[in-house]
Amino acid sequence: MSTTSQKHRDFVGEPMGDKAVTALSGIGEILGKKLEQQGFDKAYVVLGQFLLLKKDTEMFTDWLKDASGANSRQAGTCAQCLKEWCDAFL
Amino acid sequence: MSSLRSKSAQDISDLLDEYGIKHGPVVDSTRSLYEKKLKEAMAKGKKGKPSPDKTYYREEEEEVTYEYRTPVRSDGAGDSGSYMRSRPEWSEREFEHKTSYSSYLRSKPEYRGKDFVDEPAMYDTPYAYRNSYLNSTPMKSQDAPKAPKSSRLIPLWVQFAFFLAVAVFLYLVFSSMETNESLKGIE
Repeated sequence: MSTTSQKHRDFVGEPMGDKAVTALSGIGEILGKKLEQQGFDKAYVVLGQFLLLKKDTEMFTDWLKDASGANSRQAGTCAQCLKEWCDAFL
Repeated sequence: MSSLRSKSAQDISDLLDEYGIKHGPVVDSTRSLYEKKLKEAMAKGKKGKPSPDKTYYREEEEEVTYEYRTPVRSDGAGDSGSYMRSRPEWSEREFEHKTSYSSYLRSKPEYRGKDFVDEPAMYDTPYAYRNSYLNSTPMKSQDAPKAPKSSRLIPLWVQFAFFLAVAVFLYLVFSSMETNESLKGIE
C-alpha cells in the first residue's frame, strides 16, 4: 500500500512546466534553497539531473543527499516522485 | 589511480564500467558523484554498487505477515475438537500477532469471520471462550522461542492455570466415560 503525500500526487499528476524546485515531493524550503544555490532553481533542472543519471533512483538519491544535504527519506521521496513523473509524461 | 579529479571523463567512465557501476554521462554535475562512487568501490575492493538505503522494507514486511494469515483464516478452527489442528496455525499467528501488533490494528482487514483477529486487544468478546482457550494452548508452546513480552492483557500464569483446569476437566470427563474397552487401551 503506497502512502504518497498530497504534494507527490500534485506533482506527478501534471506536466511540471516551470514549477519551482520546492514543488518536488521531499524538497522543502531549506533543501530547495540549497539546490537553487547550485543552479537547480527549477524542477525541470533537477529532472535533467535525474535523466542524466539515467533515471536510476539510487544514484539520484545519493546525488541529492550530497548536493542538498537531504536525508534518505527525503531523497528517496524525491527520486520516487521524479520516477513516477517520468513514467507518466516522458 | 589516486587522483580521480585529474582523470578525463572517459577514464572515469571506463573505471565505472570496470567496477560494474551503471552510470550515465560523466558531465560537470554528475562527475563528483561518480568520483565518490569510484572511491567507495575502490575502498571496498570489489565490483558492484554499495547497497542503497531501503526505507520501504518495514511496510513490506508487515504486509508479508499480513498476507500470510490468509490461508490460516480459511480453516474453520474454532471448536475445541479441532484445536489440535489449529494449534500450529495459532502459534504462528500469535507469534506474528505479537510482533506486528500495531500494524495489525492499523491494517484493518476484512476478516469478519474471526472476531478475535479483529480485536486483538479485547479477549472478552463473544468468542471469549474460544479465544482464551485457543490463546492459552499455543502460549505454552510459544514460551521457549519467544522472549517474554509483558504486553499481555491476561497474565501468563492465568493462561497456564486455565489451560490446566480445562485439561483436568477433560481428563475427568474422559475417565468417567464407561466403555466396553479398557480406558488405558491396554489389550
